[in-house]
Amino acid sequence: MNMKKQGLAFYLNVLAVILGIVGVILTVVSSTMTTDNALSNLPVLVIAGIVGIILVCIAIYAPNRWGNHDPVSFISVVAAIALYSYLFGAAVSQRIMLIAGLFSYNSGNTAGWSIFYVSVAAWVCLIVGILFLIVGSFLKSVKE
Amino acid sequence: MEAWNGDEFEFEGAGYNLNQTMIDIYDKLNETYNHATNENPEEVYDPGEPSISEIEGINSSYKDSFAQYGDAAIVVISRPSAESKDYLPGGIKEGLGAEEPLALTTNERDIIEVAKESFDKVIVLVNTATAVEIGDLKNDPEIDAILWIGFPGCYGMLGVADVLCGRTSPSGGLFDIFPTYNMSAPAMQNMGKMYYTNTAEEITRTGGVLGFVPGAYTIEAESIYVGYRYYETRYYDSVAGTGNASDPTGAYASTTEWNYDNEVAYGFGYGLSYTTFSFEFEGEPVFDITVDPETGAPNAYATFNVKVTNTGDVAGKTPVQIYGQAPYTPGGVEKSAIQLLNFEKTEVLNPGASEVVSVKVDLQYIASYDETYDNGDGTTGTYIMDPGDYYFSVGNGAHDALNHIMAAQGMDASKMSGTGNAAQAYKKTIDEDFISKTLFSVSKTGYKISNQLPYADWNYYQPGEVTYLTRTDWAGTFPQTYDAMTLTNEELINNLNGYTYELQTDDDTSSIVWGEDNGIQFYEMYGVPYDDPKWDDLLDQLTLEEAMYIFSFGGPSIPGAESIGTVETYMTENAGNGIAVALNASKDPTAPWAIPAEDPNGNWHPQVFGNAPLGASTFNPELMRELGEFTGIESLFTGINILWGPGLNTHRHAYNGRNGEYYSEDPVLSGVAAMEFAIGALDYGLVAAPKHFAFNDQESERGGVSPYMTEQRAREVELRAYQIAFEATKYDTEDYDAGMRGLMTSFSKIGSIECTTSEGLMTEILANEWGFIGYAVTDIYDDVDLWAAVLNSGTTCFDTRGQSGFYDQTTLESSNLFRNLIGGMSLNANLIDGDANLQLKLKEAVHKNIYAWSVSHLMNRYNATTHIESQMTWWRATYYGLMGVSAALMVVGAVMYVVSSKGKKKEEK
Repeated sequence: MNMKKQGLAFYLNVLAVILGIVGVILTVVSSTMTTDNALSNLPVLVIAGIVGIILVCIAIYAPNRWGNHDPVSFISVVAAIALYSYLFGAAVSQRIMLIAGLFSYNSGNTAGWSIFYVSVAAWVCLIVGILFLIVGSFLKSVKE
Repeated sequence: MEAWNGDEFEFEGAGYNLNQTMIDIYDKLNETYNHATNENPEEVYDPGEPSISEIEGINSSYKDSFAQYGDAAIVVISRPSAESKDYLPGGIKEGLGAEEPLALTTNERDIIEVAKESFDKVIVLVNTATAVEIGDLKNDPEIDAILWIGFPGCYGMLGVADVLCGRTSPSGGLFDIFPTYNMSAPAMQNMGKMYYTNTAEEITRTGGVLGFVPGAYTIEAESIYVGYRYYETRYYDSVAGTGNASDPTGAYASTTEWNYDNEVAYGFGYGLSYTTFSFEFEGEPVFDITVDPETGAPNAYATFNVKVTNTGDVAGKTPVQIYGQAPYTPGGVEKSAIQLLNFEKTEVLNPGASEVVSVKVDLQYIASYDETYDNGDGTTGTYIMDPGDYYFSVGNGAHDALNHIMAAQGMDASKMSGTGNAAQAYKKTIDEDFISKTLFSVSKTGYKISNQLPYADWNYYQPGEVTYLTRTDWAGTFPQTYDAMTLTNEELINNLNGYTYELQTDDDTSSIVWGEDNGIQFYEMYGVPYDDPKWDDLLDQLTLEEAMYIFSFGGPSIPGAESIGTVETYMTENAGNGIAVALNASKDPTAPWAIPAEDPNGNWHPQVFGNAPLGASTFNPELMRELGEFTGIESLFTGINILWGPGLNTHRHAYNGRNGEYYSEDPVLSGVAAMEFAIGALDYGLVAAPKHFAFNDQESERGGVSPYMTEQRAREVELRAYQIAFEATKYDTEDYDAGMRGLMTSFSKIGSIECTTSEGLMTEILANEWGFIGYAVTDIYDDVDLWAAVLNSGTTCFDTRGQSGFYDQTTLESSNLFRNLIGGMSLNANLIDGDANLQLKLKEAVHKNIYAWSVSHLMNRYNATTHIESQMTWWRATYYGLMGVSAALMVVGAVMYVVSSKGKKKEEK
């Protein structure tokens, strides 16, 4: 790949990869901080995240071979958004009761607050990554 | 009035003229000192009261407004109460001029001084759920009145207004003793956050999904001397000159002596009125003592007829409190010098009018629990009635009642605090012929009573390490602070780690019937007594898996069981004095409970009543029952058939942040209040489930804390309140054994054992001794890792808030709550296939749950046709519609994108 030829979407997608990696790592960290608050399907979530990251990598590479707005990168970005969203949504749904407790009857749960902060960081990474992918899909990946 | 607009509930609505200048100032200051509606205590507390200079900063001439309103100033002192946090010793923000969170700060004192300088009358309202330190206000001649108002709820200020202007006369009594310094209570020497020194090395159990901190404990070395029992008993001994009671050890007001007047501001049960009353016993009390010839169960009562006369100038009513004193022998079983035995309340008496009030006392509450008593059958410990002189008295609170007894005993009046009237005391010599020493060694169910909670006592494991307070030597045994205990005993460590039940895998379970077709449905069980064989037939229909569901998911949503015709239902609500489900919560206008939009009460939030201590301070059983009845009616509207309340823990000390949910430091006052509430609620089909059974003595580290205490203390203080409520003897008839049908267990342990897993507590005492039959749920997600031990103990289900969709998205295996059981297991439908004991316990647990449902208005929803039919509500249709539209837009967008891309490429070519 000729770096001089890369468009804005390329850089946004690279950032989305980095954010995806950080998001997955933080999700794993949040799940392993205590055994009692582990995410029930962590392996599935991690695989979803990794596949999403790989798809974004494909979306970065594909335009260099087939040009902007090629079907491969299109499908890869859409699928990656779906997988990032799944990772985010599945993690949130499993943390709702914890968060409800922290903000009401269980505000003294220091371990829970730590999990909450790490989880929020993971979710921010994933959401921003998704936003970058969406914005990037409207922009050119390679200069023509 | 056609509609309420809210003004009626303000002071102005009650006819007062309020100083608008001060209202404006405080409105402005509220931007800085923003107080939440449901504020928390804090471990480092700041009451958030502005200084005089800050008031002046808003309006420097604020005092000019006083002339117009110069007749009276009302100063309000507040301290919040809420879940999850306590006040802690010394836990107050620096620079506020107070050393303790319940002492008045400089700013609070300054505003009182301003009031004293500027107004003819100064009234202090104490807006707390706990004792604040107001001893110096009591002795300040410039303060005309102090009125404790509790947390009066949405409408209670009307009553306060009526009391202040004299429209009605106050008629309550204090729910707790108000010491001059709260830290002088022996319980305060051991509260807060204390951890074993070797937690990291020895405690392997984790903190559960709620993240509780393992390794917390508190040594309740004060023994039975909680609240007024300590101050009044020590007072008695100091006058008698026994037990080193006058030694300064434990005194906070003096370095040279312990003196009641210095240490106590207001006594338990004490209350004032605009009128005065005289009390005299009308004749001898009537003793009614019988023993069931078959079971040996005692029924021993004394009825005191008290003639109450209004000797003042205005109408009023008053509590009639009967207290008792059992004979104490130094070195013998600990006994409080005074304890409340029961109470009633007069009607409103006009000046000069009299009423004879009968107060029936259950004599088992003057018996003492002797842990060392040899029962002669290989067991030790039971209730005893030592032979000797027993005293009973009627008085305005515990101190007054004790003074009457002391006067009757001819004690030195010059050494007493206050005066006694011997005529208000009654002596009864009890010997073996009248009441046998062991009459109360058998419970009302006919069950032999013996020690069940040996593991409550630290010394059981590591003897001699804890000294409990005894009135034989107040000075020598006043509690030290046990803040560095080390775990060395293997059994103790094992218990703390949760290894209290060993799951069996290869028992013969072939005789235990599951999945039988007996053709009975749940709706047919209405009115069927608990011990009717028809229940066995119904229970045999359940599959083992269905039964495990019912035990594992105890609400608010409970799973249905197809075999007995029950359906998934939202059943419980978590509240104290009312149900926190808005009446207009249903948006279905066709529902029978729907509140029309034009109804002025449509926005009524039912949680409007004063808090528990306020209810207790009425000393009015009738009012307590009315509250239960109202809540029962409310529950019919809201469709909630089990209420996780009221709170029934003991006010061990004033620093418990959650005292506002619990009634009192006294078990009789608490127990009667809860019993009346529950019986009233059950009249309308609402099962009240008092919480937290038991020993939830503090919020600090409540999830894992181990309170260590003597069994005598456990039974005579903490458990007595529950016993009164659960036995509900007052409402028993020949045909019906009244009682509560629900409870919630405690997060805390009893000693080293979780309350939820304690067979001694849940089966021996609760079920066998007291005859409790009903729904016994854990607190939220509590001890889910001890699933098998919880089932074994007699607890009937888990609080699994947030879990629903059973058999579908939520299964025994998929629920996140039961994945990490002790021993590396996880819950599954075959977990107890090989454990006969647990299968039988499961049947019993489910039986109790379903029985509780059957006596509740849940039954209103059941008949032969009951089933669930999915409804396509408008919001669900909208939800699905929006999803469909979004999906269609995405597909169209994708297609358009591809088409457009191809078009662009063609153009480029």
